[in-house]
Amino acid sequence: MKLETLKAIIEKKKKKSEFAIITNLKTGESEIFEKEKPLSKEMEVYSNQINEFFKSKKNGVIENSEIFVETYILPIKVIIVGAVHIAQYLVDFAKSLNFEISIIDPRGYFASEQRFPDMKIINKWPDEAFKEIKTNENTALIALTHDPKIDDPALQHALKKKFYYIGALGSKKTHENRCQRLKEDGFSDEQINSIHGPIGIKLGGRSAPEIALSIIAQLVSETYNKK
Amino acid sequence: MKNSFDEKILEEAHDWVKTNQKVILATVIQTWGSSPRQVGSRMIVNEKGDFSGSVSGGCVESAVVRECIGLIKDNKPCKKIEFKVSNESAWEVGLACGGEIAVYLEQVN
Repeated sequence: MKLETLKAIIEKKKKKSEFAIITNLKTGESEIFEKEKPLSKEMEVYSNQINEFFKSKKNGVIENSEIFVETYILPIKVIIVGAVHIAQYLVDFAKSLNFEISIIDPRGYFASEQRFPDMKIINKWPDEAFKEIKTNENTALIALTHDPKIDDPALQHALKKKFYYIGALGSKKTHENRCQRLKEDGFSDEQINSIHGPIGIKLGGRSAPEIALSIIAQLVSETYNKK
Repeated sequence: MKNSFDEKILEEAHDWVKTNQKVILATVIQTWGSSPRQVGSRMIVNEKGDFSGSVSGGCVESAVVRECIGLIKDNKPCKKIEFKVSNESAWEVGLACGGEIAVYLEQVN
């Protein structure tokens, strides 16, 4: 690797913009790949494969080639609605898993700094809060209040913006009612079925940290399944 | 998920270069079976054999350091090395987990 390439990589890292390092293993020559920026002639033929690595957030050698791709992917945005007890454990788990968490809760006594030190907490109703957060298909939503007034607007936003993971806490009955409301508001069965409800994988536990674990496990699994 | 933005090994490599050290980047580029560190894991080695970071759980680092010093001596730009359990050197530096890894060595120049 040329020293100038190394310097350029360090600069890119500082700017926190996504990129990949593409290395020709035969020659040791490297270049930087960025979305929507042209690659060199030599690497151009591999653009599809490079994009695949990017999407799957993985590093590796392109099949039948001597080209190594190392991706620099920003943390995935996870929005938690409801600064409840489970959320406190979710924050702990997420820290070591490269998720960037924001918490929305209009109820000030829940979303206090004391309960969530060093956390980005938006003390507003979801419709207002989403004006402050940029969201897209790479965003995940975890709705934890099981209060329709707070959860529903967030779920609707997430469905419209096609979040790759949407989960909502609540019993089967609560979830049925929720689905019914969304249907009445004009959401399709396909959209409604994309919501993970009741949220989390079955671990059997009922305590707050156990539920948080089951949610985070489902989130990680869905993150890797994402296309 | 790994957050490559938080890893500081390339920054450290740059610091080493600034103090006139010769630096080799050793990067895990492929793994087969179970292996201790994922693709993209990296260590850096200088001409004296000082190193930082890791490419395995301590199983093959000593061999990587030797290879890196060799690369600097021969003044070669890059080299790919593989560690397999079936290697004769397995007793010495094999991967106890039974996995195989390919490590790519390249000089910063």
